[in-house]
Amino acid sequence: MCRERTPKEQELFLKLKGVIDPELMVNIIDLGLVYDVKIDEEKNIIHVEMTLTSPGCPMGDMIMEDIKQLIINNYTEYEPDIQLIWNPPWTLENLTEDGKRFLNR
Amino acid sequence: MQQIASKNAPPPSLVVPHFAVGAILWLVASTLIALHPEIFTQHYFSPKLLAITHLVVLGWISMIIFGALYQLIPVILETKLFSEKFARISFYTLIIGTLLLSYSFWNSQLKLPLHVAVTFLLISVVLFAINVFFTATKAEKQSIEKKFIITSVTWLLLTVSLGILAALNLSQSFLTINHLELLKIHAHWGIVGWFLQLIIGVGSKLLPMFMVSHHLNTKKLTLAYALINLGLIAGTIEILVPTSILLYFSAVLILVGVFSFLSFLFEAYQKRIKKSLDKGMKQSMIAFLILIIPMLMMIVLQLNLPNLTLFKTELSLAYGVTLLIGFISSLVMGQTYKTLPFIVWLKVYKNKVGKGNIPFPKDLYSERIASIQLWAYTIGFMGFLAGILLNHNITLQISSIIMLIAVILFAVNVLKIIFHQPKTHV
Repeated sequence: MCRERTPKEQELFLKLKGVIDPELMVNIIDLGLVYDVKIDEEKNIIHVEMTLTSPGCPMGDMIMEDIKQLIINNYTEYEPDIQLIWNPPWTLENLTEDGKRFLNR
Repeated sequence: MQQIASKNAPPPSLVVPHFAVGAILWLVASTLIALHPEIFTQHYFSPKLLAITHLVVLGWISMIIFGALYQLIPVILETKLFSEKFARISFYTLIIGTLLLSYSFWNSQLKLPLHVAVTFLLISVVLFAINVFFTATKAEKQSIEKKFIITSVTWLLLTVSLGILAALNLSQSFLTINHLELLKIHAHWGIVGWFLQLIIGVGSKLLPMFMVSHHLNTKKLTLAYALINLGLIAGTIEILVPTSILLYFSAVLILVGVFSFLSFLFEAYQKRIKKSLDKGMKQSMIAFLILIIPMLMMIVLQLNLPNLTLFKTELSLAYGVTLLIGFISSLVMGQTYKTLPFIVWLKVYKNKVGKGNIPFPKDLYSERIASIQLWAYTIGFMGFLAGILLNHNITLQISSIIMLIAVILFAVNVLKIIFHQPKTHV
């Protein structure tokens, strides 16, 4: 079962909508690239688990850098930890309704 | 574990000059075509046509492919390039070799300049091939894309070796085989063996990635690989030991192979989740539609219909022009918009990501210019094709000027991308 996000984690999750995939021109949340965000209050670390639409995606580390900078700028007391995972792989089911609408335009 | 492709990418200083030189030489070739369209009303084995053809295939198409492959190999094979030094030497020798070769053909100087040119080209191609083979050896993952790339580079080596033999034979005349037959093998090895297979290998990975298409039937690619290579071998045997059955067999194998790939591409297009295609992808899709024309011409040429005998020279020339200037050049222009902006964008904005509003890769060129270029080129090319088939000089003149305008617009966009200056609004 999925862990429920804290309000602060949910706020960060929504803020990540500011990160856009430069090829698809859709934000990474509506693309379903972000699997989880976890804030470790004891160690002051923000963990983000994410994937890419394809392992070959040449923009992968730019997207990760964008997330890192967003965390550094908005959560100054935390250290970002971005993990790229390939399992489960990204599928069409990951898209939100908004994501599907943006891509269908 | 799979890595992110950009971690393996070579420096932009290695890749970008290939695009700059490629665009300039494409402009030179288009200018020569517009200034001398009458060349396309003559037999295809003429010095000036050989000069333009080699400027296009080596200076424009192969130049961009070499550069793009150095960038795309990390994406496709998920490993670093074997040697950047080899790639740089290959780049300079390709420029010198191509210019000298075209000069030699244009002026019918078939001795010293031609011999020097082929030496430079041989160095360039061998270094490129070593780079691809050793990079592929480092890659652990086996895939159909890898097979296509390695096999296409093998055909490139064969094409250049045969080209050198043919060039030496022009001055020394030591081969017993008819020169036109030799030219046919050379052209088919180059166009089908090298260009087409490389396009399939790279395209089958990149095009679905750009359109975000998943769950595709890759068996179609395996079939295309087997059929195209068998077809090429059969066609080569046929020219060396003529038996008309083998020629039909070769044409059918290549045709079915190409349509198997087109069917894969159509599946990717239908299953795409990114519905609207940008200018680069539109031009690429138009290029694949154009590819159907020479495939049909191939059937007509093989049927050898008696009432088409007089028309055969025009049709043969139109077949080659449609493959090189229609299909491959349109595709290379389209895919330039998909690769070059990303390479430059990564170079300029790598350290600025997330630190202010930065433009997107697509903002590095003018979409309006790209749009006009796309349609002008397509219309210009169709007119040019009609001019060749009808042997009509004025149609060739007008359409070659339209194509030249399109190529100027393309070059403007390429330079706009390459010389992009950073813009940030914090």
